[in-house]
Amino acid sequence: MKGIVLKNIKLNDKYYHMIINSKEFCLKVSAGQFFMIQPKEFDYIYDPLLRRPFGVCDIDDNKENFSLLYMVVGKGTKLLTTIREGVEIDFSQPIGNSFTILKNKKVAIVGGGIGIAPLFFLAKELKKNSCDVTIYFGGQSSEDIVFTDEFSKYSDRLVITTNDGSVGIKGFVTKPFEDDIENFDFVYSCGPKKMLEAVSKISVEHSKPVEVSLDERMACGLGACLGCIVYVREGGDVVQKRCCVEGPIFDGSKVLWESVCR
Amino acid sequence: MHKLLNINLCGVEFKNPIIAASGTFGYGLEYSNFIDLNRLGGISVKGISLNEVKGNPMPRIMETSAGMLNAIGLQNVGVEKFVKDKLPLLRRYNTKIIVNFWGKTLDEYIEVAKILDREDVDMLEMNISCPNIKEGGIAFGTDPKMTYDVVYNCKKVMNSKPLVVKLSPNVTNIKIFGKVAEEAGADAISAINTLLGMAININTRRPFLSNVTGGLSGPAIKPVAVRMVYELYKTINIPIIGIGGIMDYRDVVEFYLAGASAVQVGTANFVNPEIPLKIIDDLESYCLKNSIENISDIKGKVITN
Repeated sequence: MKGIVLKNIKLNDKYYHMIINSKEFCLKVSAGQFFMIQPKEFDYIYDPLLRRPFGVCDIDDNKENFSLLYMVVGKGTKLLTTIREGVEIDFSQPIGNSFTILKNKKVAIVGGGIGIAPLFFLAKELKKNSCDVTIYFGGQSSEDIVFTDEFSKYSDRLVITTNDGSVGIKGFVTKPFEDDIENFDFVYSCGPKKMLEAVSKISVEHSKPVEVSLDERMACGLGACLGCIVYVREGGDVVQKRCCVEGPIFDGSKVLWESVCR
Repeated sequence: MHKLLNINLCGVEFKNPIIAASGTFGYGLEYSNFIDLNRLGGISVKGISLNEVKGNPMPRIMETSAGMLNAIGLQNVGVEKFVKDKLPLLRRYNTKIIVNFWGKTLDEYIEVAKILDREDVDMLEMNISCPNIKEGGIAFGTDPKMTYDVVYNCKKVMNSKPLVVKLSPNVTNIKIFGKVAEEAGADAISAINTLLGMAININTRRPFLSNVTGGLSGPAIKPVAVRMVYELYKTINIPIIGIGGIMDYRDVVEFYLAGASAVQVGTANFVNPEIPLKIIDDLESYCLKNSIENISDIKGKVITN
């Protein structure tokens, strides 16, 4: 697919927000799905080579534009910041399974760092379906906490934590979540592996269903390279799943966390 | 339809010389939602072994400068499931099917070759060059005597299908291996498989791949591949399928000039599944523009004097 980059804005030293125009994409995508994007304007530049996977952060109400929230960590994301507004960019169609969208339930959304990106789209969908939504948003420090106004709009409660205490409650995001867990019917989470593992463990201990979005390193994003295998319990067996096409959303109680890389 | 790109490889007619490379194209079916498989000259499926193989532990891939390392570990469903579940679905497409295969032992190679030779496939491609498994694989591709034995013994049990032997670049002199494979009865050579490489995370001081080392592919290896195809072309008389970092039609022309009779597109499929189709269109335009009646006319036509 191709679309025009409408905005590529620096939010702070760590995060950028890109908005792309593509009705075709917007009509196909569900919350939790991701896509692969060429992190450069020109396809004849071979370094970096592979497309990069990003969760879909938001779709506008007219279903014309979608956005990605990204953190600048390496060569690919650094180049992504140089894409100019108005440029046509190449990306894949929406990939993978999606979050279960419940109706009229009390749900917890737990996001850590850049893992918050696909949870924005999720919160919006859950609110549309009359869910009572509590968002737990954790980061290292204040610069990890972005889009708070928007998150407030699509949640009934927004709980912010930072490891250094620069904004919100000081400490890990899993703590306030665990304190409130009995209030919820369902838990959704995306973020670093350790956080997802903790969120899943807490949910399982309290018999709450939990869906996590995983982010393994992948080459193709279409199920062919077998680079993004996740090990999952199924029946009495441990089976291999491709994070890209059989994920990225997994039942957190079934994932073998020691096999997850990131 | 122009006849610019039609080729005949070991008696098999290909509508064009663009073949999807093994290990980058699954069983073909994974790509059917993204591109029209009927347009490809052929598909070389993921390396098949006698029994199902689960592959290496994660992490299995890492991007490097203009390329990537992989140590998937030849994960595949095994020959029985491939023939029963995958092949009938893949056969519905109008493209040539090359089955890449390998074994942990000489007997396994022979057994798989025997089974596949009876099936409805167009060619077999023997993988003696995977750097990512402990048993078999590359051991057969880095010792000329073992290369001879495995090619000779597989060819002996095959009655109908052409046998392509995929060579490893991880040898001092690839010409020796091309010559030995030819003498043992190979119908064609494909070259090259990945180059053995390694990448280390400087923060953890650990290799990025669980297998420690992996196979390097992508544009980074193209000059090595072109050189090896050139050396093989001067040494052997059987056709060569050029592989290594092909991203566009210019790369294909380069492999042809070096002596290739067809090419395989690998890592580019990961970058964008539409690349092989774009290459086919562009290659056709290139032939028209340069008054080349058939792409084979430029085979080995590099000028070195």
